[in-house]
Amino acid sequence: MKLRKYLIFTLLILVLLTSTAYAEIPYSSYTYDYWGNPVPAPAPYVPTRLIDGTSLGIGAFNNASDMFVSSAGKIYIADTGNNRIVVLNDKWEVERIVDKFERNGEEQTFKAPQGVFITDEEHLYVADTGNGRIVELDENNNFVREIGKPVNEIIPADFEYKPTALVVDRAKRLYVVAAGVNQGLMEFDSEGNFRTYMGAPRVSVNMYLYFIRLFYTEEMLARTTDFVPTEYNNVKMDEDGFIYVTTSTISVYDIQGAVSARSTDDRVSPVRKLNPTGKDILRRRGYFPPVGDVQFYSRGYAEGGQSLLVDVCTDKYGIYSVLDNKRGRIFTYDGDSNILFIFGGRGNRLGTFNNPVALDKIGENFIVLDKSVSGYGQITVFEPTDYGRLVLQAVYYHNEGKYDEATACWEEVLKYNANSELAYIGMGKAALDQDDFYTAMKYFRLGNKRDYYSKAFKLYRKEVLSRYFGIIAAVILLLAVGIYIRTKRTGRREVEA
Amino acid sequence: MEVLRGLRYVTYLIFHPFNGFWDLKHEKRGNLGSALVLVALLSITYILRRQATGFIFNTVNLLQLNIMVEILSVVLPFLLWCISNWCLTTLMDGEGSFKDIVITTAYALSPLILINLPMILVSNVITVDEGAFYYFFISLSTVWAAGLMLVGTSVVHQYSMTKAFLTCICIIIGIGLIIFIGLLFFSLLQQIFWFIWTVYQEISLRF
Repeated sequence: MKLRKYLIFTLLILVLLTSTAYAEIPYSSYTYDYWGNPVPAPAPYVPTRLIDGTSLGIGAFNNASDMFVSSAGKIYIADTGNNRIVVLNDKWEVERIVDKFERNGEEQTFKAPQGVFITDEEHLYVADTGNGRIVELDENNNFVREIGKPVNEIIPADFEYKPTALVVDRAKRLYVVAAGVNQGLMEFDSEGNFRTYMGAPRVSVNMYLYFIRLFYTEEMLARTTDFVPTEYNNVKMDEDGFIYVTTSTISVYDIQGAVSARSTDDRVSPVRKLNPTGKDILRRRGYFPPVGDVQFYSRGYAEGGQSLLVDVCTDKYGIYSVLDNKRGRIFTYDGDSNILFIFGGRGNRLGTFNNPVALDKIGENFIVLDKSVSGYGQITVFEPTDYGRLVLQAVYYHNEGKYDEATACWEEVLKYNANSELAYIGMGKAALDQDDFYTAMKYFRLGNKRDYYSKAFKLYRKEVLSRYFGIIAAVILLLAVGIYIRTKRTGRREVEA
Repeated sequence: MEVLRGLRYVTYLIFHPFNGFWDLKHEKRGNLGSALVLVALLSITYILRRQATGFIFNTVNLLQLNIMVEILSVVLPFLLWCISNWCLTTLMDGEGSFKDIVITTAYALSPLILINLPMILVSNVITVDEGAFYYFFISLSTVWAAGLMLVGTSVVHQYSMTKAFLTCICIIIGIGLIIFIGLLFFSLLQQIFWFIWTVYQEISLRF
C-alpha cells in the first residue's frame, strides 16, 4: 500500500518535471512603469511566420522599403531594389507583380520606388522615388495619372524631388514625404497641383544656444547649423483620416529632456498625429511622451541612444504602434499614449530583425518588413497572445463605453500581469463608478494615477466626514468647552493671586 | 536643559531675526548642542517628508528610498554651507567663529522644520484641488529660511545687508568650488591607487 503511494507520487513528480513543448520567444516583452523603469510583461504578440521573396517564388526582395495592407486585405510591397511592386493576396500568395505600366502606348517602369499607398477603390499610388514622381494605377494596372515635381514659387528650381512615402485622403488630396524636406508634408490637391507644405514640426529653441548665439559674430553664425524643423520619414493615415508622421532626427538630448520632464509638448515628439490643418493633436497623457524606449544606454554603447521611429501603424480608437529601427522593437500605445506593449528585438531569429523598416496590421496580426543585413528582405507575421488580445479588448471596451466588460478584461489582465498599471487604473475607474471609493484609491495607488487618486480620495474623505460627523462635532464641542472652563479657572486664580 | 532652552529660543528667533541672531551669539541664547539637535530634527523632517507625505503630493519612489542618502542630502549641504561660509568670511573680516556659523545656520533652517512637519500631516488629508495651499506653505518655509540665512549671515559677521547678500552668493559659488576640488581630489586618489595596483600586478605576475 505504502509502496503504491510512493510510486504514484514519484510518477506525478516525473510528469510535472517533464518539459512541455513550447516555442521560445526570442525577445522579452516589457512596459515602462510610472518611474520609467522597464517592467517585464507577458508577450503580447508571438512571431508565427516568416515570408521572403524566395519562398514566394518571385526571387529575393532587394531593399524592399515599404508595405501596405489595403482595405481588401491585399498586401503591397515596394520592392525598391527590384523596381517593382509585389501584390500578395490575404493567403500570402503572389497575385501580381507591377513592374511596368503602359502610358499613352508607351511602356514605363519604376526606378527605386520607396512608398506605396492603396485607396479604398484599390487604386495603387507609387512613390516612384528615382523618377521623382508619383504614379497612380488602377486595380487592373492601367495608368491613371502621374504627379510630378511640385511647381511653386516657394520651391527652388534646383530642388531634387524624391518622394519616399505618401497618403491620399478621401478628398483625393495627396500628402507626400520627400527626402530632404523639413517644412513638413507636401500637400497636393486632387488635381495633382502642389498646394502647400503642411504639418511642419514646431521648432524648439534651446535656451543656451539662443543665449550663446547673441555673442556670435556673423562668421560664426554662418557656420552654425540653423534651427530647422525635423524631417519626417514616414506617413500613415488612420481610419478617421488623421495623418500620423514619424521622424528619427530628434536629438538624444531632446528626447532625454522630454522624458525626464514627462513632456506633453508636441515639439519634441518622434511621432505626431496631424489634423487636416496640420496641427498636432496626438493626446500625450501617458506617464511618458511616446518616444519609444524611455530608458536606454547612452550613445557609444552597442544599440545605445534613442529609439529611431521609422513607421507607424494605426488601430481603432486612436491606438497606434510605432516601429523602432534601432532596437527592432514595436511600441503600442493607446489613444492617450499610455504604453500598452513593447515587443520585438534585434537578431537573426524568427521574431527579431536587423533593419526593420515597415510595420502594418492585417486584422489583428502585425506584419513587419525587415530589410535584413544585405537588403534580402523578409516579412515576419506576429499573432496576438491571449494576453495581448485581452489588453486590446479592454481598451476597445473602454472606448466603446462598455465599462463593465472593460473591468472584467482588466481583471483578467491582472491575472497574467500583476504589474500592469493600466489594468489597476481600469479597475480603479470601475470601483469609482460603483462608489467604492476606498477600493478605487487602492487601485489608483497601485497604478500610480495621482489625479484619479485625488478624485477618489476627495469623495472618500467626504464619506468619512459625513459618517463620523456626530463624533467629530462632539469632540470639537468638548474641546471648546474644556478650553473655555480652563481659561476661566486660571483667570480666576490670577485674580485671586 | 541647556539644549531645551536653546530649542525654545527658536520660536522667538524666527519672528525677530535681527534681535534674535544678535542675542543668539552675544547673550548665548543658543548653543552647539541645540544647533545639532536642530540639524538632526531637520534630517528627520526631511526623511518623514519623503516617506510620509500623502500619495498625491509624494513623487518619491518609496521602493528606492534610502535613509542614509536622505540624511546625507541634508547634512552634506549644511556642512558645505558652513565650511564655505567660514572660508569666505574669515577672508572678508567676518566676526563669527565657525561655531557661531554652525549655530546661526542651524537656527536659520528652523522654519523648514516648523512648517514642513505639520504639512506632512496636512498633505495626507487634502486633495489636488487644495494643493495650492500645500505648495504655498512649502515655498513659504523655504523663502523664510533663506531670509533668515541672509539676516543671520549679516548679524553674525556684522555685515551690511548688501554685503551679506553678496557673501551669500559667493558662498554658493564657494560650495561649487569645494565640490569640484573634492571630486578632483578623489579621482586623482583613485588614479594613484590604480597606478600602484597595476604596478604591483605587473611585478607580481612577472615573478
